[in-house]
Amino acid sequence: MLAQQYASIKRDLDEKGILFSFCGYLSEGILYSLGEALREKMVLEAADGPTIRRVFSVFVEQMQNIIRYSAEKMSGNAGRAVELSAGMVTIGMEQGKVFIVCGNTVRNSEVPRLKERLEHLKGLDRAGIKTYYREQLREEPDDASRGATLGLIEIARRASDPIDYDFNAMDADRSFFCLKVRV
Amino acid sequence: MDCLIIPATGRTPGVSFDFASGHLRMTGESYPDDVAGFFGPVFEALRGFLDCADGAAIRFDMELLYFNSSSAKALMNIFQMLETVAKGGRPVTLTWCIEENDDSMRELGEDFAEDLRYVVFRMREMPAGGVP
Repeated sequence: MLAQQYASIKRDLDEKGILFSFCGYLSEGILYSLGEALREKMVLEAADGPTIRRVFSVFVEQMQNIIRYSAEKMSGNAGRAVELSAGMVTIGMEQGKVFIVCGNTVRNSEVPRLKERLEHLKGLDRAGIKTYYREQLREEPDDASRGATLGLIEIARRASDPIDYDFNAMDADRSFFCLKVRV
Repeated sequence: MDCLIIPATGRTPGVSFDFASGHLRMTGESYPDDVAGFFGPVFEALRGFLDCADGAAIRFDMELLYFNSSSAKALMNIFQMLETVAKGGRPVTLTWCIEENDDSMRELGEDFAEDLRYVVFRMREMPAGGVP
């Protein structure tokens, strides 16, 4: 029963082309380790340096978004100050392209602003994204975003297709936010 | 201070600032878990060096293979510091090294170069085969 249950979860992930999946509390340490595994996998598949870095770059920005902005956090002292952020990250292959999906809880009050940013990015062509990047590179980050805008632009810039996002209301205060990027 | 040497780690760049000769260099990759913590001392050392102006030429080799968006802000800061002294008459050359065929890094170089009027900006291709 046990093996059957988990085999079915694994089969489900395999069928969706998922190579890695992590769900739970994330930290910079996990980002580093998963990132290394992702790169090693791509090196073994003989991907070239620029391609590996493009995928890696989207992965890093997505993971850091969760670590910084997840509305589900745990912090305390475990010998040193520790902050963990809950979320999920999934990396897979689909029609010959790598895709990275990240998900985390956000406060409903933050949804309109995030939506506005993502819609703006989706509406830009390559040249528009480049100009937007150049502008934001010179901007002082506002307090709430702590540089998130540049991270999202970086993601859109490395993506081969327009970014895909969605929100799912959880309760009166929170929603689940998902961002899918194909590289 | 004669030099600032910080060995590269898996996620922080190697810094080799030889202030005596004016040759500054950054290598490796940059996506620190604490960007301010890493770049703070780098800014401070660089500021100290640029403040005691002897007018000698500065050569900055940017050899990073990858940097994340928060590091981009820090790099911008460094280049603006260089631009300020270049405007004051000190010769500064910034060489942006990219691995061949790395169009993303080439584009980023162009983005950074856009703001530089007094710093001489050069793009240099390196053969592939570095750390991916």
